[in-house]
Amino acid sequence: MLWVDKYRPKTLDQITVHQDVAQNLKKLVTEQDCPHLLFFGPSGSGKKTLVMALIRQMFGASAEKVKVENKTWKVDAGTRNVEIELTTISSTNHVELTPSDAGFQDRYIVQEIIKDMAKNRPIDSKGKRGHKVLVLNDVDKLSREAQHSLRRTMEKYSSYCRLILCCNSSSRVTEAIRSRCLNVRINGPTDDQIVKVLEFIGKKEGLQLPSGFASRIAEKSNRSLRRAILSFETCRVQQYPFVSNQAIPPMDWEEYISEIASDIMKEQSPKRLYQVRGKLYELLVNCIPPEIILKVIILSQFLLIFSVLMCDLYYLVSQRLLYELLKKLDAELKHEVCHWAAYYEHRMRLGQKSIFHIEAFVAKFMSIYKSFLISTFG
Amino acid sequence: MADIRKWFMKAHDKDNGSASKHAKPDSSSNEKSAAAELQSGKAELSGGGSTGRRITSKYFASEKQKSKDTTETEELPIKRKSPQDAKESPAKRKSQKDSKESLKVPPLQKLNKIDDNDDDDAVISSSRKNLSDVTPNKKLKSGSGKGITQKPVKIEESDDEEAEGTESSRKQPSGRGRGGRGSSAATVGGRGRGGGRGGFMNFGERKDPPHKGEKEVPEGAPDCLAGLTFVISGTLDSLEREEAEDLIKRHGGRITGSISKKTNYLLCDEDIGGRKSSKAKELGTAFLTEDGLFDIIRASGTKAPPRQDSKKSVVKSVESPTGKSSLKVQAKTCKDLSAGASPAKQKRRTVEFSSLTWTEKYKPKVPNDIIGNQSLVKQLHDWLAHWNENFLDGGSKKKGKKLNDSGAKKAILLCGGPGIGKTTSAKLVSQMLGYEAIEVNASDNRGKSDAKIQKGISGSNANTIKELISNSSLHFRTDQPKRPKTVLIMDEVDGMSAGDRGGVADLIASIKSSKIPIICICNDRYSQKLKSLVNYCLILSFRKPTKQQMAKRLSQVANAEGLQVNEIALEELAERVNGDIRMALNQLQYLSLSMSVIKYDDIRQRLLGSMKDEDISPFTAVDKLFGFNSGKLRMDERIDLSMSDMDLVPLLIQENYINYRPSSVSKDDNGIKRMDLMARAAESIADGDIINVQIRRHRQWQLSQSSSIASCVIPASLLHGQRETLEQGERNFNRFSAWLGKNSTFGKNMRLLEDLHVHILASRESCSRREHLRVENLTLFLKRLTEPLHTLPKDEAVKMVVDFMSLYSINQEDFDTVMELSKFQGRKNPLDGVAPAVKAALTKAYKEARKTQMVRTADLITLPGIKKAPKKRIAAMLEPAEDTVEGNGGDTLAESDDENSLDNDDAEDSTNAEKKLQLELQNLKKEGMEVQLDLKGVENSNAKKPGGRGRGGGSQASEKKGGGRGSGSATKRKR
Repeated sequence: MLWVDKYRPKTLDQITVHQDVAQNLKKLVTEQDCPHLLFFGPSGSGKKTLVMALIRQMFGASAEKVKVENKTWKVDAGTRNVEIELTTISSTNHVELTPSDAGFQDRYIVQEIIKDMAKNRPIDSKGKRGHKVLVLNDVDKLSREAQHSLRRTMEKYSSYCRLILCCNSSSRVTEAIRSRCLNVRINGPTDDQIVKVLEFIGKKEGLQLPSGFASRIAEKSNRSLRRAILSFETCRVQQYPFVSNQAIPPMDWEEYISEIASDIMKEQSPKRLYQVRGKLYELLVNCIPPEIILKVIILSQFLLIFSVLMCDLYYLVSQRLLYELLKKLDAELKHEVCHWAAYYEHRMRLGQKSIFHIEAFVAKFMSIYKSFLISTFG
Repeated sequence: MADIRKWFMKAHDKDNGSASKHAKPDSSSNEKSAAAELQSGKAELSGGGSTGRRITSKYFASEKQKSKDTTETEELPIKRKSPQDAKESPAKRKSQKDSKESLKVPPLQKLNKIDDNDDDDAVISSSRKNLSDVTPNKKLKSGSGKGITQKPVKIEESDDEEAEGTESSRKQPSGRGRGGRGSSAATVGGRGRGGGRGGFMNFGERKDPPHKGEKEVPEGAPDCLAGLTFVISGTLDSLEREEAEDLIKRHGGRITGSISKKTNYLLCDEDIGGRKSSKAKELGTAFLTEDGLFDIIRASGTKAPPRQDSKKSVVKSVESPTGKSSLKVQAKTCKDLSAGASPAKQKRRTVEFSSLTWTEKYKPKVPNDIIGNQSLVKQLHDWLAHWNENFLDGGSKKKGKKLNDSGAKKAILLCGGPGIGKTTSAKLVSQMLGYEAIEVNASDNRGKSDAKIQKGISGSNANTIKELISNSSLHFRTDQPKRPKTVLIMDEVDGMSAGDRGGVADLIASIKSSKIPIICICNDRYSQKLKSLVNYCLILSFRKPTKQQMAKRLSQVANAEGLQVNEIALEELAERVNGDIRMALNQLQYLSLSMSVIKYDDIRQRLLGSMKDEDISPFTAVDKLFGFNSGKLRMDERIDLSMSDMDLVPLLIQENYINYRPSSVSKDDNGIKRMDLMARAAESIADGDIINVQIRRHRQWQLSQSSSIASCVIPASLLHGQRETLEQGERNFNRFSAWLGKNSTFGKNMRLLEDLHVHILASRESCSRREHLRVENLTLFLKRLTEPLHTLPKDEAVKMVVDFMSLYSINQEDFDTVMELSKFQGRKNPLDGVAPAVKAALTKAYKEARKTQMVRTADLITLPGIKKAPKKRIAAMLEPAEDTVEGNGGDTLAESDDENSLDNDDAEDSTNAEKKLQLELQNLKKEGMEVQLDLKGVENSNAKKPGGRGRGGGSQASEKKGGGRGSGSATKRKR
């Protein structure tokens, strides 16, 4: 089993990283009826683990007996019938689903399917009327219409149905929904916390960790615990026993993206843009989400801008000149690039064909960077 | 009507009037000549047509005489010509000449005239006509002289001389005979600018013009290059190749690809010593530099009032510069004229000017007149000619022998676009063979005929046809020895639509039983409606005639109508109407209402607005949008182009915009400007995407124009220019959009990923999201799945991998998915270097391990007895199968009890069901489904539970594949 899954805490008591949150949740569930919940925080911070543990706390071990269903729903959408395929994970008392998977048809899921689920009240074996929990993932990716239809459902069936919403960013969840929920922010774990977890795993697995290795992984993981554990295990698979300067392999696609970024930095021409487009397609086809592509491109570009310029400027012995240049770079180029990146990312979410927007960003960057280079170096 | 014409011509007339006034203050009668000028404008409109025709009819009778006459007329201006004269403005000379001629004309007129009252009118036009007809004759005389002067002994010299020579001769058609003299005179006059420039030497591929966009392109008289043939070679000084071509075409010249005898100029700025130039030297073709070309054009623009010039050059266009071919042309025109208009008819036509449309008037009268598709017409003819022998008289005898022959089919189907002469040729051929044609077209009701024709044939048209074809005796008349043959022409069969129910089927039945030939005509032979008909017909696909063929015919018509149109203009017309000669004639007739001299630009302008709605393919649209002169397109045209396919054109634009080098950027040292334009174009394309989302998702269709502007028009207008290739070996054509393919691959991969995700979720070991699975877990999965195969010994590795796979319930397809998704171009495949033996062992071990596992595929097997397949699809519920053996008994019983209660009544078809089930399971197995069929178990259970249990046993087998399951299984089963 992968370590991520193996060492995932099953109960609220086992949780180490967000201990305080876990304890609060426990109190919430045991002492009183829990309200709707909205968990938000960066990926890899432990939202899902918390939710699962919470459900277990509510319903006991039966919550672990889940079945996976991939069901086609027929929804009557006024003039036509819409067929929606949806994967749900459900136990007797809870259903977990990701409505945003249906793309722009998510509205129907919320309006019909979720309402349907929320309406049915489970009756447990003792004839007592229980309540059920709906876990919705990626609420921030729901369209506005879907979110609007969700809020009525939340109120109407609140007597016996609880919603637990998970998302990365609460800003894309409408005010109305946020106000109906208890908002719980889950921070990304700090490096120290990650190191602790890694060392714990290492001990359990009986591994010898070279000093500083765990912290290096933690540093690279970008404060995502999942990421850290995964790359830890990747290292383990790749080479064991560890050496002191063990290389931490990047994700395959990350490597590819940084390749693209350096391509862009090296040459700014139509030809290069064409090649970059081919590579971007490759990434997209391999199911890498476009938002992530754009983000990683920018990050690696910033890294590269410095390194490339440093190399270029090595002959500019004058320290002062270098300093000025870097200042200029900071003041002008970075701002501008950031601005455009944000601009195109926003547009990408509005649009549909993400490649167009990424390509537009690349073209824009090429244009800016080229004129920057020429104006600086002549 | 005359008023309108006047109004049309007013501007020109004024121009000319004033010009002539300026030109000849001392001419014999100022006023009169001005009037003559004014009249001549009119003559072109109305009189030109009629008088011209009248003259032509007379022409042949008096040809000899006339030619003498005209030589006389010609002699006059030539005699008066002096070096000084040569330098005079051609306008003046021309008008002088005109007046001279009109003075001289009376004898001529007598010969020519019929009964016209307005002398001036007839005089001028007739004299003009004479000129046009005669000059070629004269040219023959002068051919030798000209040839000598033009020999490119000194290329540089003769270059200019030639240029000027033709120029001057163009200006004065009458003086043309004196080739040598004319040209030398002109050289004196117009020389001095052309020489000595543009000597660049660069070898290899065609490069950018060295002075791109730096020179001002002159505007000349629209037809100043008429009749001249150019070949372009190498790089020009400032023009792109396409621009030069357009320039020459716009001024009436013709561009060909390679040098031949007819070529007048080789346009090149540098002698790169290629094939073209060597051939040109061999043939004695003159060389012309770009500046020379500009000079020619510029000279015509400044010196000659455009109309005068064009008038003459139209005349000139009939003749080509070398004597021989001009004779040929001449001969042709004679023939054409005689063929096109018989004298008797002409008279009538002059009276009732526009009673007939030209399309009717100039319909081909014999099959040979049909333009293009002659072989098809011949085929049609043969088929029709032999129809009776084949199908009526000896048909039964020859049966089977000639099945593959063209005569084997009883009916014929002519197909092709509108206006290319299908109906006409059908009618003509049948007429020629003495058939009486009965035409039934879309205006008739062509529904199914009543099955029994007992009501008589009255009323329904369809019944009439039925009667007609089935009853050959109907056509017998006792008093006629030879019975009239009939042919049925079913026109527009693809138009048989809602109103004509069963029309096509009935037509087929008719064909089968027909005793007369049937000719069907359609536009689109691939139409769904005609699918069945096609089998019964011999298919002849008419093609569009070439533009040369059409131009020839059109010029015949134009001549017959007294229109003056140069051939280039006609070719342009032919091209514009996309092969539809009917439309071309209509256009021509319309144009003839307002002018009698039609120029290239007129046609361009006229047809810009009313261009035939041709089917623009997305590629053509993109070509046009990005074309180097797309800047001249109007906005609505651009939108039309991009709307030709709302989905595909933006995609093609997006795919190809990188490849264009914007012509709006003339100087771009380091590509900054181009990069900037590209960024803007890319942003605009992205805008288009956003708008498109609004359109599709929120049904805001009113935005579709903005969408096409953002996604097509703006990028194209920013970047239009020359296309260049970005990759080695790439063809320089627009690529097809990659997005469609990539998107479908993306969809497929997404589905695969979803499958993998569901499987992994079903293993209950992980509950990660799909996205995280891809972005973060997959690398590790890949490592865990492949790394052992590389490093560990075979058995151990295989065991490890299989264990991992079964833990996460990854099946083999998912394994492939993982490989597929982590494949990147230029990276090595993680399975490379794994010995085939290891792979084979892995597959084997995997299958072995699979047997102890269970896949819930209840929904994939239609259980016999249950009519409806279960709605809910339970995908791949997997469980580790440790309890295979012990769990088996109890579970089976419990489940089959379940079944029992439900399916007791199905007892009777249990055996059937069982067999069916087996079959099905085997099928599934063949499809690679992991279903293990335990037939033994079925039998056992059958034995255990006698009677009504058979059914239960059957379904149990499906339940059982793979053995026992956890206790949860019963609840998981959806009913």
